[in-house]
Amino acid sequence: MLGFIARRLAQVIPLLLVLSMVVFLLIHLAPYDVVDSYTTPAMSEETVAAIRERLGLNEPVWVQYGAWLGNVLQGNFGNSLATGLPIGDELARRIPNTIILVAPAYLTALVLAIVLGLAAGSRKGSLLDRIIDSISSIGIATPSFWFALLVMFVFGYVFRLFPVFGMHSIGKEGDVGDLLLHLAMPYFVLVVAFFPDLTRYVRSSTITQLDEDYVQVQKAYGASNGFILRRHVSRNILLPIITQLGLALPLLVTGAIVTESIFAWPGVGLYILNATAALDYPVILAVLLLSAVLVMLGNLLADLLYVAADPRIRLAKKAA
Amino acid sequence: MPRKIVTSLAAVAAAGLLLSGCTAASPETPGTSDGGSASSNATFTYAIGGDPMSMNPINLNDRWGLTFANIVYSPLARVEADGTVVNELADTIEPADDGLSVTVTLKDDLKWSDGEPITAEDVVFTYTNKAVRDNGNADLLYVGDQPITASATDDKTVVFTLPSISAAAISNIATETYIIPKHIYGDVTDFSVTQLDPAAIGSGPYKLDEYKPGEYLKFSANENYYGDAPHISNLILQILTDADTVKTALQTDQVSASFVTSAQVAEFDGTNVSTYPYSEGRVAYLGVEAEKPALADAKVRQALFFALDRAALSDAAFLSDEYYELAYTILPPSNPWATEDVEKYNQDVEKSKQLLAEANASDLKLTLGYIGTDPAQVAEATQIQEQLAEVGVTVTLSGVDASALYAELEKGADNKFDLFLGGYIMGLEPDAYSALFRTGASANYFGYSNPEVDALFTAGVAELDEAKRGDIYDQIQAKIQDDAVFFPIADNKKIIAMSNSFTGIEEARLVPIYSLENFGKLAVK
Repeated sequence: MLGFIARRLAQVIPLLLVLSMVVFLLIHLAPYDVVDSYTTPAMSEETVAAIRERLGLNEPVWVQYGAWLGNVLQGNFGNSLATGLPIGDELARRIPNTIILVAPAYLTALVLAIVLGLAAGSRKGSLLDRIIDSISSIGIATPSFWFALLVMFVFGYVFRLFPVFGMHSIGKEGDVGDLLLHLAMPYFVLVVAFFPDLTRYVRSSTITQLDEDYVQVQKAYGASNGFILRRHVSRNILLPIITQLGLALPLLVTGAIVTESIFAWPGVGLYILNATAALDYPVILAVLLLSAVLVMLGNLLADLLYVAADPRIRLAKKAA
Repeated sequence: MPRKIVTSLAAVAAAGLLLSGCTAASPETPGTSDGGSASSNATFTYAIGGDPMSMNPINLNDRWGLTFANIVYSPLARVEADGTVVNELADTIEPADDGLSVTVTLKDDLKWSDGEPITAEDVVFTYTNKAVRDNGNADLLYVGDQPITASATDDKTVVFTLPSISAAAISNIATETYIIPKHIYGDVTDFSVTQLDPAAIGSGPYKLDEYKPGEYLKFSANENYYGDAPHISNLILQILTDADTVKTALQTDQVSASFVTSAQVAEFDGTNVSTYPYSEGRVAYLGVEAEKPALADAKVRQALFFALDRAALSDAAFLSDEYYELAYTILPPSNPWATEDVEKYNQDVEKSKQLLAEANASDLKLTLGYIGTDPAQVAEATQIQEQLAEVGVTVTLSGVDASALYAELEKGADNKFDLFLGGYIMGLEPDAYSALFRTGASANYFGYSNPEVDALFTAGVAELDEAKRGDIYDQIQAKIQDDAVFFPIADNKKIIAMSNSFTGIEEARLVPIYSLENFGKLAVK
C-alpha cells in the first residue's frame, strides 16, 4: 500500500517537469510578452529595453526556464511580472478564499446530485425523471457567467439582499455573518454550475445498477424497490461517487474562475485570469503546477478511496 | 467530472483594457447606511479596474499606479487642462532666461506623513533616481540623450539644469514627478522595483493604511498634508474588473464612484447616481502603414480618408456626441496647441474614387488590425469596412489582443496589417507627440518619415517663444494631415459616475489619468 503510494508520487515529478516545460514554451511562442501589455507610446525604446532586461525576458527561453525552475525547486515561485508582488504570498492568501467558496458549493451540489440522481434513475422514464433530466440539461447548457449576472441582478440589485462583490466588508474581516452574506450569491451560482453534471452521473449509474443481475435476483426474492435501492443499489452507486470526490480536488483551486471574476471574490480564479491576459508567466505556471499536483493527488486519492470502499478491488502489484 | 469553467477571458480582458472600472465594497452591509453623515467619519469608495502595476513613484506609469500616487504623494506642481500651472510643493518655479535651468523654491513648513520635514534634498533624491534609465521611467527627464540634473542650493531651493535648450522640459520639469522621502528610502539600492518598503510615506492628502492585492487600497486623511484637510477622512480604492459588477455596485450604493462606459449611462437613470463626461485629451485614430507598397502613394491614403465619415464612426463607437469631440489633427481638440487649419478629410466619396483612379489603385485589398475585445474599436472597424467598400476597397477585419496588436505593429513594414486602430493620451506638451511621428521614433507605428516634420519637431522643442512655437506646431499638424498616415477620429470622453450622496466633483476636478485631481475636496452632501 505505502509502496504503491510512493511509486505513484514518484511519477508525479517527471510529469510536472514536462508540463511546466510545455506551458513555458507555449507562453513564449506567443507573439508578445508581458511588457507589451503595459508599454505606452510615451516610453522610449531604451526604457522598454531596460524593463525587459530587468525581468530577464531578453534571455533565451531555456535560460529563463532554468532560472525559473531553480527558484521553484527552492520553494520560490518568484514575483508577478506585472505587479512585482510575490506569488507565494498571493497564493497563500487566495487559495483559502477559493476553498471557502468552492468546497461548500461542491459538497452541496454532490448531496443534491445524489438525491436527485437516485430519484430520477430509479424511476427511469417517469415524469419526475424527465423533470430532473430536463433541469440537468438546462443547467449544463447555461453559461456560468450569464447565470452569475442574472443572480446578481435579481438578488443583488432588485431585492438588495446581498452585497454584489468581495468576501468581506472592509473592517469586518472576522465577522462570520458578513462573510455568509458575501458568500451567498457566488455559492448559489457554483452549486448550480456543479450539480447538473453530477446528477446525470448518479442517474446513469443508478440505471446501470438497476439492470444488474443481482437486482433481478432480489426482485425474484420479492424484495421491494425501496429496499433494493437502499440496501444494494445505493451502495454500488456511491462507489464511483467517492472517486468523484478525489477527482474534484483541483476544483479547490481553479473551480470558480468565472464566478470569482464576476463577484470579485479574492481567490485564485481572478488571479489566474488577469495573469493570463497579461502573459504573466510566473503566475500562470505557479497556478498551473498547483492545479496539476492536485489533479494527480486527486487521482491517487480516488484510487485509494475506491480500494477502501470496494473489497473486490485490490491494488495491483505494479502501479497502475 | 463537473468542470464548468466557462472562462470569458475576452470579457475580462476587455474590462481591463477599457479600464471600464470595477466595483467597490462599502464598509457596511447592504441596506444600511454608515450612519456617519459627519464627513469626519464618512468613507468614499472609488472603484478601479485593477491593481497598480507599480506603487513606486520612481517608475510608476500605469493608470491605477498614477491614481494611487496622486493620492499619497505630491508633485512640485501640476498643469491643468488649460495649460495653467498650479504649484503643489513648490512655492515658486522660475525658468532661467537662457532656458537652461529652472529654480524651484519649496513652500514653508512642508511635512511628510510621518512628521519629518520635506526638504530640497528629498526633491534632488527623487529626481536623481528617476533619471536613471534602468529604473524604467526616465524619459521625461532626458533632453536628447542627456539627463536633467538636480541640485539643492539650500534646504528649500532646487536648481534643475538642462543639458540643452528644451521648451518641453522647461515647462514639464516640475510636473508629473511625485516626490519621495530620502530619510525613508535613502538606503534603497534598486529603484526599478514596483513596491517600496515601507509602503507609501508621502505628502498627499491621504496616507495608505492597507493594501490587499486584488481587493482594495485603504487610505485615511494625512494630518500633515500642506493643503486643506480632506473633507472625507476615509478613502477606499476598490479593485473590480467586471463592468457589470461595477454598475450594480454603483446602483446599490456599494461604490461611491467609478468610470463607466457610455453604454452604461442610461442604466443610472432614476438612481442615486449622476454621470460626468470629461475629456482626457485622448485621440482615437485610424493608422495607415505607409511602408506597405500598396499604400506608398499619398493619393491612395488620401482617398481612403475621403471615403470615411468621422461622425458616423464616432457615433457607432461612442454612442452620442455627448461622449466625444471630433478630432482633426494629431493633437486632441482640447489641447491648447491644437489647430483646425488642416485638411479635415470631410467625407467625399466622389473625390475618393477619383484619387484612387488617378493612382491606378483599383481593387485594393487591405487588412485592418484592431483590439477585438474593445467594443468601440469593433464598432469603428465594421464602419470603416462598410465605408471603404463604397469606394471599392475591400477590408479584411482582424481583431486581436491589444498586446498582440502592438507587438505586430512594432515589426514595421513586415507586419500583417495595412490599417490599424489605436488611441493615445499624450498630455498637453506638443513635443510628446513626436514619439509617434518622428522618423524612427519608438511609437511610430505608421512607418512615417517626413524630414520636414522631423526638422519642425526639432525646432519646436527648442523654441521658447510661445507664439513662434504655436506656429511651428500648427505646421506640423497640417503636414501630418496632408501626408495622410493618421486619420484622427475623436477625443472620446471618460465618464465618471458618482453617487449623489457626495458633492464637490467640481472642486476635486476631473483630470486625465488620475480620475480626480484631489479626492480630499469631495464632501458628503
